[in-house]
Amino acid sequence: MPEWLDYFFNYFVIVYSAMVLLSYVAMAILAYLEHRKHYTYHDDAYTIAELKKSPYTPGVSIVAPAYNEEKTVITNVKSLLSLDYPDFEVVIVNDGSKDRTLELLIENFDLVKVPYAYVEKIKTKPFRGLYKTRSDNPAFKRLTVVDKVNGGTKADASNAGVNVVSNKFFVCTDVDCVLDKYALYRVIWPTMYSTRRVIAVSATMRMSNGSMVEEGKMVEAHPPHSLIPLFQDLEYTRSFLIGKTALARINALQNVSGGFGMFDREIVIKAGGYDGDSFAEDMDMVARMIRYMCDAGEDYRVVQIPETCCWTEGPSNFKVLNRQRTRWGRGLLQCFTVHHDMVWNRNYRRYGMLTLPYIMLFELIAPVIEFSGYLMVLYLFLRGAVNYSTIWIAFLGLYIFAQLLTMVIISYDVWVGTSFKRKADYLWFVLASLLEPVIYHPINVFFSLRGYWKHIWGTQMVWGNMTRKGVQQRHPQANPQPLQQPEPQNPDA
Amino acid sequence: MEYYTLSRYAYWKYYILILYYRLAEYPPVVRAWFVFGAICVLLLVLVVLGNTLRYFSHYRFERLSRHNSRRYWKRMREIILSERTLELAEVSSILELPKNYKMKARQCRSFIPTLLELKRSLGDRISRPNWVRLLQVLKMPAYFEDQILSRSTRERVQAFKDVADLDGNLKEAVASRYLFTKDRKLQMHARLHAARFGTSYPFKVLEEDPNLVFTKEMVVKYHNVLVYRKENGLAMPNFIRWCNRVPLNEELRIFAVNEIRLFGRKEDCAELLSMLQSSREEEFSCALIRALGELKYVPAEKEFCHRYLSASFTERQVLAEAMGTIGSDNPEILKFLSDDFLQSTDYVTRMILLRVIYNYGARGREEFYRLKESTAGEYQPYFSHIECDLIDSSRYA
Repeated sequence: MPEWLDYFFNYFVIVYSAMVLLSYVAMAILAYLEHRKHYTYHDDAYTIAELKKSPYTPGVSIVAPAYNEEKTVITNVKSLLSLDYPDFEVVIVNDGSKDRTLELLIENFDLVKVPYAYVEKIKTKPFRGLYKTRSDNPAFKRLTVVDKVNGGTKADASNAGVNVVSNKFFVCTDVDCVLDKYALYRVIWPTMYSTRRVIAVSATMRMSNGSMVEEGKMVEAHPPHSLIPLFQDLEYTRSFLIGKTALARINALQNVSGGFGMFDREIVIKAGGYDGDSFAEDMDMVARMIRYMCDAGEDYRVVQIPETCCWTEGPSNFKVLNRQRTRWGRGLLQCFTVHHDMVWNRNYRRYGMLTLPYIMLFELIAPVIEFSGYLMVLYLFLRGAVNYSTIWIAFLGLYIFAQLLTMVIISYDVWVGTSFKRKADYLWFVLASLLEPVIYHPINVFFSLRGYWKHIWGTQMVWGNMTRKGVQQRHPQANPQPLQQPEPQNPDA
Repeated sequence: MEYYTLSRYAYWKYYILILYYRLAEYPPVVRAWFVFGAICVLLLVLVVLGNTLRYFSHYRFERLSRHNSRRYWKRMREIILSERTLELAEVSSILELPKNYKMKARQCRSFIPTLLELKRSLGDRISRPNWVRLLQVLKMPAYFEDQILSRSTRERVQAFKDVADLDGNLKEAVASRYLFTKDRKLQMHARLHAARFGTSYPFKVLEEDPNLVFTKEMVVKYHNVLVYRKENGLAMPNFIRWCNRVPLNEELRIFAVNEIRLFGRKEDCAELLSMLQSSREEEFSCALIRALGELKYVPAEKEFCHRYLSASFTERQVLAEAMGTIGSDNPEILKFLSDDFLQSTDYVTRMILLRVIYNYGARGREEFYRLKESTAGEYQPYFSHIECDLIDSSRYA
């Protein structure tokens, strides 16, 4: 073995691994402090009651792009309209669907095209029209349907939605996501108690595979009972309850998930809206909002709340997971290419000096280092030079650390108010945690590298479709058939 | 051969030394890794143990709450719906509490969900004196006092919230020690408690605290407190004093003006107008304009016109809305709005002006159609937008 490689693995990789583990420990501690603060001061029922009766509660708009969603769109729009909040509107953007999405919306909600004075604050593909209801049903009055030419990305459709929303804050979600009934109260609350301007709020998202959903509403939350969504659920929970919570505590949150996140409309427009060319448009959006705030010399906060507000359906096979993770990997590298000037730049405060360097070192480079480690072990194995007494101790140490992290997540989840119906559901998390380091993690490393490769060589890539199975329904007749829909957004890019 | 019996500490030392010498054979990295793994195992055991204990503690509490709810729901309902004011002894006998019932925090806490549910479901039908007596028999005031005075921050904050939710009968002096505490959240809850139940100068801190930070959360909560005071016939504060407090607090001033608007206090309009005449802060001016508009204070129209041309876009929008809300059917105002529609460069302002004109009585409608006829094609989408009944044009942004 060349001497330099020996040095590389003996010193650099060991130090690097120790730093990664230390960063996890630091994040778990920061997340603990944040959850303790939340537990001490926050009372969900009390907050909701206070906001419900106040005339000062700000209005919130929900923007949900829909592309070829004819099988689920009606149930899901009804579910969005039935959310509990004093002042909200639902803006569905029909992104040039080729199926009957628009027709079904028109039929079911008695919609009619209205002469809306559309102003294109953010550039999008051409706007075709805006629909409002003729019905006297007050819930339907909250609905606005925007019809536009297909832009090929969720970003373009979201931008068209942002152009017509009427409230200061808007929630960006996917039309197939299941939102918690009180989600809007929860995301608006940080904008009320913060002394600084809150430009974005991220909330915890979970997998809906395995949960019981009735008419688009979550009835019983359970963890997925198949391996890939279960791994993803564990990954999401770890990302939201430790990673994002810790970063948000020091106002250094890197990303507000595209699946569910609330944004300040004014800042989104000033930052130029979502980038239609980005493969990680949610992370890119937050980066641009922060860039705008820092350039303008304004104070801001990006907040993460621990309560589960949204459930989304995760990939159920490796093929779809591959497509999703390759895109995320590509998006991450693309984001660094676009915003490279923010890294180690003091003008961008903690985002530039802490968040981006952290992501670059421990998320962007990590798959490369890990993959080189796998190759090294393979090389040593073929040469018969593996030191088994050392390798098992290293593996066991890491493995136990992973289990510890899972137990910490479970503690935090219970602490902040679990969404699971039964506490025994956490045993699924334990099972996933036992298998994740040997199955899921190495595969994801490979998918990320594939994404980097595609970005570097500029391979043509389009938004992949995700085959969804549909969540469990109480009424079998309402069970959606498998359909083609855009992928959910990256929770942590 | 000599045999030694190892004592407790030597026993541990023996195994640690064995481990130490075994590990000494390995390189430092492996040793460090082993120590790391050992710490992780220890923490893992502690976390699992903690989770299990918490689970059982929570389970026992839930069981107690459910038991209390099943056993006392009907009896409590009977007490608080009684048309006659019951004596404490009567309440006690109806409840049939166990003879050994003592003020234990856990037991009192387990009653709170049932009481909250009762209060929520029965609403106005509750007899206030009987409710107070029920809380007394359950020793809730003493429980809350104990929680607020001697427990952790979480328990204090929670107790303040529960007192507010349950409309608890608690001395206002209990909160006074936290009115200026450095813990901002606890301070806020103590102040809200004083404001809700206080009888002697309950809003004193708002007027006198020089370091007051008045967040939107406080806006929501103080408004709810003021609504509670009004509904219960308690004295309302003088909002004008809040506007003029020294040092000025911008958020508090805006809140005070908004409260004048929401409580419809027309008697304060003259004072608001004089404040508007000297105001230069945009947000405060907007609050004043909105209040004067919604209170339909016609003398303010002249000042509105005077301010309009030098105002920012945001202020212009609020001014136009206010003129429309007053709706004095004044042809000069209508002409003013109409002229500005043609000159305005901001599309939101233009839309607001057009909507105000459209809704400005018969003359306004006439002017709207005249403008529609006389303006060029680029303006036409605005006219169609306003005319369409299905669009709520007041939400255009």
